[in-house]
Amino acid sequence: MVALQNVPTAARAAPQGEHPHLAPLDPALDTLPKNFVAMAKRYGASKVAMRKKRYGIWQEYTWTESFAHMRDFCLGLVSLGLQRGEKVSIIGDNDPEYYWAELAVQAAGGTSIGIFTDANPQELAYVLKDSDSVFVIAHDQEQCDKMLELREAVPNIRAVIYWDEKGLWHYQDAWLLSFEQVEAKGRAYAAAQPDAFEKLVMQGSGDDIAIFSYTSGTTSLPKGAMIAHRNLIYGMRHVFAVAPIRPEDNYVSFSPLAWITEQSLGLTAHVCIGTVVNFPERAETIQNDIREIAPSALLFPSRLWESLLSMVQVRMADANLINRALYALFMPVGYKVVDFEDRGRRAPIWWRMLYGLGDVLIFRPLRDKLGMVNMREAFTSGASLSPDALRWFRAIGVTLKNLYGSTECQTHTLHYGGEVRFETVGKPPPGVEIRIAERNEIHIRSRSVFQGYYKAPEETAKAIDAEGWFHSGDAGYLNAEGHLIYLDRVKDLVPLASGEYFSPQYLEVRLRFSSYIQDAMALGSAERDFVGALIIIQFDNVARWAEKHRVSFTTFVDLSQKQEVYDLIRRDVQRVNAALPEAIRIKRFSILHKAFDADEAELTRTRKLRRGFLAERYREIIEAIYSGAESVQVRAEVKYRDGRTGVVQTAVRIVDV
Amino acid sequence: MNQSATKLRVQNITLRFGGITALSDVSFEVCQGEILALIGPNGAGKTSCINSIGGFYRPQSGRIFLDERDITNLPPYQRAKLGLSRTFQNIALYTNATTLDNLMAARHIHMRSSLIGEAIFWGMAQREEIKHRRVVEEIIDFLEMQAIRKSIVGKLGYGLRKRVELGRALALEPSVLLLDEPMAGMNVEEKEDMARFILDIHERRGVTIVLIEHDMGLVMDIAQRIVVLDFGRKIAEGTPQEIRTNQAVINAYLGQAE
Repeated sequence: MVALQNVPTAARAAPQGEHPHLAPLDPALDTLPKNFVAMAKRYGASKVAMRKKRYGIWQEYTWTESFAHMRDFCLGLVSLGLQRGEKVSIIGDNDPEYYWAELAVQAAGGTSIGIFTDANPQELAYVLKDSDSVFVIAHDQEQCDKMLELREAVPNIRAVIYWDEKGLWHYQDAWLLSFEQVEAKGRAYAAAQPDAFEKLVMQGSGDDIAIFSYTSGTTSLPKGAMIAHRNLIYGMRHVFAVAPIRPEDNYVSFSPLAWITEQSLGLTAHVCIGTVVNFPERAETIQNDIREIAPSALLFPSRLWESLLSMVQVRMADANLINRALYALFMPVGYKVVDFEDRGRRAPIWWRMLYGLGDVLIFRPLRDKLGMVNMREAFTSGASLSPDALRWFRAIGVTLKNLYGSTECQTHTLHYGGEVRFETVGKPPPGVEIRIAERNEIHIRSRSVFQGYYKAPEETAKAIDAEGWFHSGDAGYLNAEGHLIYLDRVKDLVPLASGEYFSPQYLEVRLRFSSYIQDAMALGSAERDFVGALIIIQFDNVARWAEKHRVSFTTFVDLSQKQEVYDLIRRDVQRVNAALPEAIRIKRFSILHKAFDADEAELTRTRKLRRGFLAERYREIIEAIYSGAESVQVRAEVKYRDGRTGVVQTAVRIVDV
Repeated sequence: MNQSATKLRVQNITLRFGGITALSDVSFEVCQGEILALIGPNGAGKTSCINSIGGFYRPQSGRIFLDERDITNLPPYQRAKLGLSRTFQNIALYTNATTLDNLMAARHIHMRSSLIGEAIFWGMAQREEIKHRRVVEEIIDFLEMQAIRKSIVGKLGYGLRKRVELGRALALEPSVLLLDEPMAGMNVEEKEDMARFILDIHERRGVTIVLIEHDMGLVMDIAQRIVVLDFGRKIAEGTPQEIRTNQAVINAYLGQAE
């Protein structure tokens, strides 16, 4: 284990067992179907369970109706021969039928496997075979066509059941069944054996495998993570212990159900808490549908938050004069108030009054457009969101929080209790333990740790150790507050001579968050003692700053080597360093006299750094950073865009942070 | 599919504009529930033929029958009431109205209440509005136009406007649909979508379809029978297989061998 100064290496929010959410599961409510049945008994026809927008109207299903569909479909599958312990794959978009089908499979004692709708026939066949599926529930014509194409390759599939008949009217194939046909079989089965359904549900146990969630196979073939009912129930409780959700809350279901987060926060919360699940009309109408529902909690990947922001900016540019003026007038007020909060202070009364006015005139209407007027818990997951986007959402009154997790363990950490720190991914919620192991690998232990990979005992042994810790393959560390800072995948870390590992990617992304830095390359290897950096300034922004601060300059080369510019950039480097342990902070850096250029093969066409080439090209400067020199003379050949070449001769400085 | 009954009969029609003969003695029949394609080189008289069936042009001689009823002298709106609906080569929609409004407007021939009636018996008018809205929403669902339901038609892309126009033609609940180049100017993906919609309409709603189309690959795929026009005369008629090997058709498209 790497020793970090003044930094805890393990975090645990509260002792296990004390929190009501961590109490042992009631055996009468330890599976999703048991909870679903109990919820249907409690609410009956008095409460809406789901809404689906069809024909332009939100069509409602009460708990009684929802229950009848699920029960009939379950018995239909049983009458088709589904046995306890068998697997059923589902490929389709989010719909009430998807929820019913999954719960029906589980009620019959089976395991459900969600497959992404854009899977090609080969990928689909792989999952069907690997999971030993015996039925496929396919959404529509598109998915049925894939199945018909695969028919010979998947002899174990007994039937394919679809729920959207559009375009399938003339398909004459006994292998294909409609959802209604299976429900009708179920009703006939129930008529013959009235207590069959209750018995099936009661036979289930919390240790049964509810779902396989296939991990994205970027480096290897996808593996089916086996997740038990109690894993899902605890995984959901971990989040809702700190971000409470109530039965009257509205949830919009649109993330793929093949993704663990939708399973946990969508389906599990629906059956265990009774949230109202709303299904959008089509993928293209989601934005409008969310606005109509105005959900109280939402989880988007960071990419989606950023596209929302840019959509608003584009629309604002086209807005009428009054709206543009209000936006221009009040956004700085919003930012100002956020800045006060960031420094842990309360904004002065006049700023708050101005903000109140702005809220009425522009922020609330904006939140309404985005469907966020009732938003209590807004989460972002995935790669880190830029501080600019975060500041913008906070300025208009949406407090975005980070949530970090995995397929195998669901939620690891999140922001809660008013502690929103944007350099971190939050703290483990009650019931989840985090520790930092060798090479800064993040280990997690909780009741939501999965049961292993299907038919892959070796992989499972590598992932879960004897003490029940899940080895995530992610690297990070805990700061003094007990917040987790995520660095990178362990395999992408680079070692230093001291034995410490650092993440070039992490440093570069965060340096680029500064509006004065266009590009950065973090330096370090097993032969080097510390981390260094080459930095490229954002010329336009730095030039504007220089004019404002009366720093005279002539060209890019001249501006880049000004002492004042070094001081400016040093502050950004210090800001990035502040979130990191001493051993992996940037110690020395140099501002390059020219920008990285794809025309000179320094970047790929998608603007990724070509590290090997850059390390060779700027070898003199890099050597100088590590030799302790104050500056180095460079002669760099520059290729102009008109094809001519020239030579630049200048002194490049190197400074300590 | 019952293809025995004749749905539409074009009998010896001749259409002249001054000295130019657009159609000369053209006859063909369209069976109930059939997809028939009209093809031919530019200026062959395909659109003139569709316009004559729809009632926009009045042929100088010859007769047109719908369900064995002579419609030669009926104006277009009465033909629409009898179940004849069409789309145009150059899209003709209310460009400042929404998709929904365009489709609802097409429902007016099915609306019974009058202006005064609506003012007095608003409950009845409301029920009727709901009924028509339901029909229109089913079409929106059918043609996958949910995302553009409330979009102004003039701001939509070309492919989507074509789809809205098809939707409007369907809102009339026609028994015969005349499609004048429904896929002109579309990219491959849009063409495939449109072909799928045409087949779905045909299969699900049992609508008889007459279409003009230049993409021969598509015509051969979706049409059950083809009528070929050249210089205002019918030069061939038959299944796609027969048309592909018909010497007169090859000559018309590729020029006469010396």
